[in-house]
Order: sequence, then structure tokens, then C-alpha cells
Amino acid sequence: MKAKALKSLCLVLVFSVACPALALAQDAESLVKAAFDYMRGKASVSTATMTIHRPDWQRSMTIRAWTLGQSDSIFYIVEPPKDSGNGTLKKGGEMWMYNPKVNRVINLPPSMMSQGWMGSDFSNNDLAKTDSLIKDYVHTLEGSETIDGKKVFHIKSMPKPRAPVVWGMQKLKIREDHIFLQEDYYDEDLQLVKSLTLLDIKPLGGRLYPAKWRMQKAGVKDEYTVVGYEKLEFKDSLPADLFTLSSLRNPRF
Amino acid sequence: MFLSLAWRNIWRNPRRTAVILAAVVIGVWCMVFLGALMRGMMVEMVDNGIATLTGHLQIHRKGYQSDPVIENSMRDPGPASKALQDSLPAGSHWTARVRVNAVANNARHNAGVTLVGIDPACEAKVSFIGHAVAQGQYLKPDDDYGIVVGQALLEKFETKLGHKLILMSQDTGRQIASRAFRIRGVFHAQQRATEKQFVFVTKAAAQDMLKLGSGISELSALLPEAASPQKAADRLRGELPGAYEVLTWPQLLPLIKLYLGMMDSFVVIWYVVVFVAMGFGIVNTTLMAVFERIREYGLLKSLGLKPWGIIKGVMAESFFLLLIGAALGNALGLATVWALSYHGIDLSALAQGAEFFGMGRVIYPEAHIKDILTANLVVFILGLVVCLYPAVKAARFTPVEALAHT
Amino acid sequence: MSIDLRMAWRNLWRNPRRTLLTMSAIAFACVLLVFMLSWQFGSYETMINTAVKVQTGHLHVEAADYQDRQDMRLVIKDPQAVTKMVQAAPGVEAYTVRANSFALVSSQERTYGILVVGIDPAREAKVSTLKSIVRQGSFLEPGDHEGALVGRLLAQNLQVKLGDELTVLGQGRDGSIAALVLKVRGIYSSGMDDFDRSSIQMGLQAFQDAFTMEGAAHQVVAICQSLEEVAGAKAYMAAHLPPQKDPGLTVLDWKQLMPGLLQGIEMDLVSGIIFYIILLVVVTFSILNTFLMSILERTHEFGVLMAMGAKPGRLGRLVVMESLAMNLLGVGAGMIMGALITWYFQVQGIDLGAQELMAQYGIVGRIYPRLSWLSLLSGPAVVFVMTLLAALYPTRRLWKLRPVEAMNYA
Repeated sequence: MKAKALKSLCLVLVFSVACPALALAQDAESLVKAAFDYMRGKASVSTATMTIHRPDWQRSMTIRAWTLGQSDSIFYIVEPPKDSGNGTLKKGGEMWMYNPKVNRVINLPPSMMSQGWMGSDFSNNDLAKTDSLIKDYVHTLEGSETIDGKKVFHIKSMPKPRAPVVWGMQKLKIREDHIFLQEDYYDEDLQLVKSLTLLDIKPLGGRLYPAKWRMQKAGVKDEYTVVGYEKLEFKDSLPADLFTLSSLRNPRF
Repeated sequence: MFLSLAWRNIWRNPRRTAVILAAVVIGVWCMVFLGALMRGMMVEMVDNGIATLTGHLQIHRKGYQSDPVIENSMRDPGPASKALQDSLPAGSHWTARVRVNAVANNARHNAGVTLVGIDPACEAKVSFIGHAVAQGQYLKPDDDYGIVVGQALLEKFETKLGHKLILMSQDTGRQIASRAFRIRGVFHAQQRATEKQFVFVTKAAAQDMLKLGSGISELSALLPEAASPQKAADRLRGELPGAYEVLTWPQLLPLIKLYLGMMDSFVVIWYVVVFVAMGFGIVNTTLMAVFERIREYGLLKSLGLKPWGIIKGVMAESFFLLLIGAALGNALGLATVWALSYHGIDLSALAQGAEFFGMGRVIYPEAHIKDILTANLVVFILGLVVCLYPAVKAARFTPVEALAHT
Repeated sequence: MSIDLRMAWRNLWRNPRRTLLTMSAIAFACVLLVFMLSWQFGSYETMINTAVKVQTGHLHVEAADYQDRQDMRLVIKDPQAVTKMVQAAPGVEAYTVRANSFALVSSQERTYGILVVGIDPAREAKVSTLKSIVRQGSFLEPGDHEGALVGRLLAQNLQVKLGDELTVLGQGRDGSIAALVLKVRGIYSSGMDDFDRSSIQMGLQAFQDAFTMEGAAHQVVAICQSLEEVAGAKAYMAAHLPPQKDPGLTVLDWKQLMPGLLQGIEMDLVSGIIFYIILLVVVTFSILNTFLMSILERTHEFGVLMAMGAKPGRLGRLVVMESLAMNLLGVGAGMIMGALITWYFQVQGIDLGAQELMAQYGIVGRIYPRLSWLSLLSGPAVVFVMTLLAALYPTRRLWKLRPVEAMNYA
């Protein structure tokens, strides 16, 4: 009798300890998923300016982008005129680049995936594996704070043991209205490698949206890349044939 | 009779004998020792080349050797394995490998590497990796996510045991395949280039990652010491259809083959040079010994000894000198080789230089019967040849000349 | 004094055979050392020149840090100013200008990320062996804006033949996209697998246009008339670098560009020296023996001279003079013969055999020994000193001699 009572007490205790954690994990999971969907939408068309800043040098380009679902996208450079028409198609885990001058499409080999896209601080992998955050990580809620009357969740995202991601950990800050505020990338020794900061939240494409994305490597002060959205439109869908190689060869903007 | 006479003659002037013996001993010692050192370097080079994933012979699908990409892999290793089974001599070992170029990534670094998928148990009998793991452990057969990397790569990537390494490569569908591996072990190799180049995973993991099915890149075999790779390869070629390519290690490592030939002749040249250096001493000493005894020879001759007898006598003296010198020299040389063969000669201070010449960081001198025989033959044959000069000189003295000599 | 000298000279020829043999031993050692040292120096020079001539050159002028970071933006802004200065540097035989960038190079079939090098065809041909190692097709013509040279292994990897097209996609100096289509004009094989697998060469002008270099380049590569000139040329260049800020310019020599090569040479030199020491010891023992003999043989004679009042010091001087004469004659003859033999091979070259295979692997199959003051003098000088010591050792006996005993010595 006594033993049984003890056992059930134990069970209760275990549940009462485990359940909130489970609930929290699920909370975090759905928070990230919801934020990801909010940020990306079902489909989108946008125009943005990317500025690469270096201590002695700076360069800007204007990009027009279409995205569909979690992983397909296609972007073209619009400005400067010299680079106009250069395109990048990302489909599944693969990337192709198109250059109008030579009229050729090149499939990016594995060795180029960790290089920066167009010389920026965003690597090809950052672009190619957009959905990695959803697929490859386990998210837990670490806490929250209130900024400007809005609740901001702090989430720790640990890669699943077999996920092919280089990071040892990511830390996310997500506002209660599903807006990403920050994404920090850590190595396996949990040292910060780079951070993405999202600023300048304003109505854009019919919803509140951070208009300025800033990627900066840890430890280097004067080197960063900023993407500023000029136009953004969310759509329910885009034609699938937009995200094909033949479409890449025929820039439409 | 003349032998014991010659023996006694040698010791008539012990100081002279000691000095010339010293020259012969040092000469023979350095022939034996340096011969062993060079041999050690060569053996090291060859063994290292063969152990670094070459083997005595390899079987590929035709075209792989000139264009080692995943499209040229062997879809079904069955027939080739069977041919190995049927035609290799007893005591041979072989293993199947997947070998592709890949990119290794972690949070901070990335570099091109050669991804090698191995069957851990078979591989250990064929190449260096089985006994090269210095930290952590070697791959287990069912470890689908373990990877063994070189010390140099570990340092370059600023990572450690247990950490992740992401490998990316093109799979058979020409898609980018990537997979996360955990560093299970760290291997040491003779050359840092090897440590940077190769990363090892299980064959099954590589096949799964690259969608290869049961396909492999190569079969590599190690033959027992006495077997000829050439003959084994010929037999294999007879047995396998034209879609396969059988290559022996001299074909796979032509440069090493070339160096071997060059070093062989260098060793002989070196022997002759050392011999000439001591040859002058031998001739001079014998010549003086002969002159000292002109009266004696004259007397012997007038007593009816034939010139041939005198030549024999002088030659016997040189023979004893050479014999003692060579015996001591060999003993000393072998002792030096033996003393150094345990720890080897460490070239770490000149590691980059050694690497430039394709050598390991440590050289183990190795005494081969062939080299020692060559060295001794050079000493004896040339030694006796040069002593003919004083011997003939002695034989030519006329008794009158000899007795007139003061 | 002069009587001693004459006596020594006459003593020397009392036993001409022994003297000649001893001198031959000395001469042999000298010949060998002169030749071997010249051989070693010659082979180093060949090795360095081969390595240097494939690509690296003796000296580079480039932006500080470029060597380590290979950053596209670390440029020489005004290559003309640098080449003018390099041209004026003493000992510089030829120079060329290069620009490099990592880019995607793709053929119909495959894509690789490799180094694209812009070269000035006319000048490059004088600096590197690139022109002579083109095995198929031809070298770039000046003014060829769409030709490319590809290494044998890379051509194999890309699966391209002469005339095939390559697409290059990279990033220009200003961050803009650089794209161009090149035709394979030539396929080269240097024998250095790394080099043959990891780069393509194209015209500098076309490179500068495509990669928006605005006239800038990355390296000015210079070749000196000989290795000895490198240090002087480097010092001159370092002192006369055109002013350039962010980034500043620097001069690097082949030792900094290829540290492995220098260590390799050091190792070979050290092992060579060990060989020579052993050889010298053997020779010295041979010589020591003759000197010892000659003293023992003349014990009686010395006894007589001492009984007549000659001091051991004077006898010692006599003996040393004898050996010195022998020594000098031997060393002199050795040096002359060594120099002649070396000179002969320096002109003819020494064939190492297996030419074809070696050429395929870029090893020079012919080595030219190189006679220099160092190789001519250092070996014989050591032989001279060792022989002198070998001669001094037996003279100690003179001081121990008792005239009467000595005269009775058989």
C-alpha cells in the first residue's frame, strides 16, 4: 500500500516537473514556427537594398526577390546597372547563379556553399538553408523580457544531433507578434560567431515587419552587411515555374 | 704456411696496423650505417606511400584513375572482389573504399578534403589508418556518424574530439549531399599533408550520404611480402573484364619508383667514393710495409721463392687487414643501426623540409643483407685489386736490388 | 731557413711513391669535395629555379598581408610605378605583373572554385616556365582577351579540351559580379599536381576589365639573374617601394614565399655535411698513417741528426714543412682538378636518367654543378687543416726520441 502510494507520488512529481518543460519546448517550437511563417509568408515579392560595409570600402546593390514556401526563392540584382540581371535561384538545398553577360547558369558546387553570397556576410548556406532553423533544431524557451510594452521571448535552439548544421547553438529573440529581433550563431564551444539583428519595425506589405536586417561577424567592429527592405508584398501563392532554371535565364523585373 | 706468416707480418708493426685498421673500420662502418640510413629512407618512402591508401595494387572501374569522380565509381564491387578472392595469393588482404572530394565545414572553418569511406576491420589490415589513431578511437563498423580526422586538420579547424564536422559533396544524383559527423578519433601520419587531406568515415555512411548503394571507388590490396604485385595484377587482369582497371603501386606512385632507382645508384656511388678514400691508405700502408721488407723479399727470392709466392704473401696480409677491418666495421655499423632503429632519427626540426622531399618525420635506418653484401664486396674486391700494386712491386724486386737497399 | 726548406723538399722525394700516393689521397678528397659541394649548390639552384620558375619567381612586390589573406582588394594600385622601380633594381632579369581572384570556373559538365590568374603573356614567358610547359595548344598571344590556359589535371577534372569554353564567375575588386567566357587555348603540365589542378591563366587586360581592377594588379613578380642577386634586389626594392597607403606595399623573396623549399635545402645540406665529415675522417686516417710511417721509418736518421746537435724543434719544423709541402701540393692539385672536372660538368650537365618521366613530373633531369668560391675553397680548406693536424700528431714522437736508442732502431 505504502509503496504504491509512494510510486504514484513519484509519478506525479515526475509529471509536474517534466510537463512544463515539455510544454515550454513545444511552446518554443511553435513560437519559432509561427515567427518563421510570419516572416516568410506563403509567398512574397520584395525589393531590398543590400549594403556591404568594410572598414575601407562600402558597396550597395538593389535586389528583387521572390520566395515561395519554406525553401524556394529567386533573386535578381537590379542595381547597380553593371550587375543588373544577375540572378540566384535556390531550390531545395541547391543554388544556381545566372549571369546575363555570358548568358550562363552555374550550379554552385559544395565548396562554394560556405562562401559569402555576392561578397556579403550572408553565406550561400545562410540563403540555401533557410528552413534549417525549423528542420534541424530543438528550441527551448529560456525566458522573456518586455520591450516597449511587447513581450520578447528568448529562445535557445540546439541543433538536432544528426542535423548537418555547422552551428553549435543559436539564440533567438522573437517578439510576441512573431517578429524576429535577433538571431545569434554560436560555434560548438558556444562562442558567438555572428549575429543577425532585425531593426526598424514598421508596416510593410500589410504587416509589421523589420525593414532592416543587419548581419555582423563577432569580434570585428566595422564589417557588416545590412539589407534594407524597400518594398514587400505577401502573396498567397506564386507560379511554381517562376522557380526554375529557365525562369532564372529570363529575368522578369 | 704463408697465411700464418702473413698474419704474423701484420702484427710486426702494431701501430701501423691499428691506424690502417681504423681507416678501414670507419670506412666500412659508414658504408653500412649510411647504406642502412638511405635504405631506411627509401623503405619509409615506399611503405608510407603504400600505406597511405595506395596498397600494392588497386582495382577501379575503367576511367576512374584519370577522372576520380563519383560518376566513375564501381556500382557493384562483387565481380572485382571475387577476382581478388580467387587470384590473390594466400595471406593477402584487401578492402573496398569510397573516395570522393568533399568540403569539411565547422562554424569557423572550411576546407577541401578527401572523404574516405572504409570498412574499419578490413582497412586496418591494408592501410596506415588502422594503427594511426592517437586520440579517441578508431571507427566502429556500425558507426554511421563517426569520423576520424588528422591532427593537422583538427588544429586547422580549431576543433576537438566529440565535435561536429559537416561534410558536403556531390552525390550520384549530382545534388549536394551533406552530413554531420562527430569526431571520434584523431590520427597521426608521417606527413602533415596526409593529416590535412584525408578524413575517414565508415563505408556504409559514405554510401548512404552519397546515395551510392553498394557502390565503391576502389579496391585496394596488400600482398604478402614475397608476392609480386606485377604478377598478381596480371592474373587479375586476366580474370576481370575490360571495364576494370588494375594498377600496381609503381603505376600509382611513379615518382617514388623513380626515386628508388636513383637512390639505388647513389648508394653504390657512395660506397665506391668511401672506398677510394680508404683505398689510398691501404695501398700506401701496404706499399710501405713492402718497402720496409725489401731485403726480406730479396732473401726469400734468392732462396728460390717464386714471385707468385710473394704476391700471395702480400695479398694475404691485405686480406687479413681487410677482414679484421670489415668485421669490426660491420659490427660497429650494425650496432649503430640497431641502436638507432628503435627510436629512429627525428627530423621534426626540419619537418617542412622532410615533407618537401616526401619523407616522414622520423627515419629508421634499416640494414638490408643486400646492401651489407654490396658494401663488403666493394671493400674486399677493390681492396684486393688495389693491393695487387704493392704485391706485384714486391714480387719484381731482384735479389740484387733488394739486398742493395738500405 | 732555406736550408731546412731544401732539405724538406729533398726528403719529400726520397720516397716518391709514398709522397705521390699521399698527395693523391689529399687531392682525391679535395676533388671530391669541390665537385660534390658544387653539385649540391648546383642542384639547389636548379631546385630553387625550377620551383621559382614554375610560378613563384624570386621576388614579389605585393600589398602587405596579400600573401596571407589573398584578399582581392589588397592590390597594387599603380603597377606601372612598381614595375618601373623593379626594372631599375640591380640584378633583376625579368618581371611580370599578375592579378588573381578566386572564382567559379565551369565547363559544360562541371564547376570548380579555383584561382584565376591574369598574366601578361609576353612578360610572363620571360619570368616563368609557363610558356614552355604548354603541352597542347599554344601559349596566350598578347592581346588575346578570351583565351585561357588550363592545367592538365584541371582540364581532366573539368573535362575540357582545346577550344572548349569555360565560364568564369567571380567577384570584382569593387564587389561587382565578374563574369566571362574563355576559350581553352592551351593545356599545360608543370609536374606539380597542386599547380596543375588549382588555377587557370588568362590575359591580364581581360582580367582587369572583367574584375573591375581599374588598372590595379596583385603581384609584380621578378626573376633575378642569379640567386646571389636576390638579396641585393630585395633590399633595393624595399628601399624604393612607391608610396601606397591602405594597403602598403611589401617585398617578399622566395624563402618567404616557399618556406618548405628552404628547409628541404637545409636538410639536404646538413646530410651532405655529415657525409663529408665521415669521408674526411676516413681520408685523414689514411693520411695519418703515411705520416706516422715516414717518421717511424726515419727514426734512425733523426737519431743521427739529434746526436749531431739538431734540436727536436728543428726536426719538428722540418717534418712539418715536408708535410706542409705535400699538403699544399695535394690540395692545390685537387682544387685544380676538382675545378676542371666540375667545370666540365657545369658545361655538359649531368644526366640523371629517366628524362621523360622526370620531365612529366617537372623534375629537371639534368643537373648542372655550380662552381663558386665557396664550393671551391671550403672543402679543400677543411682537408688542409685536417691533414695538417694529421701531420702534427706524429711529430710528437720527435720529442720523446733518445738519440742513442733511435740510432739503434732497426
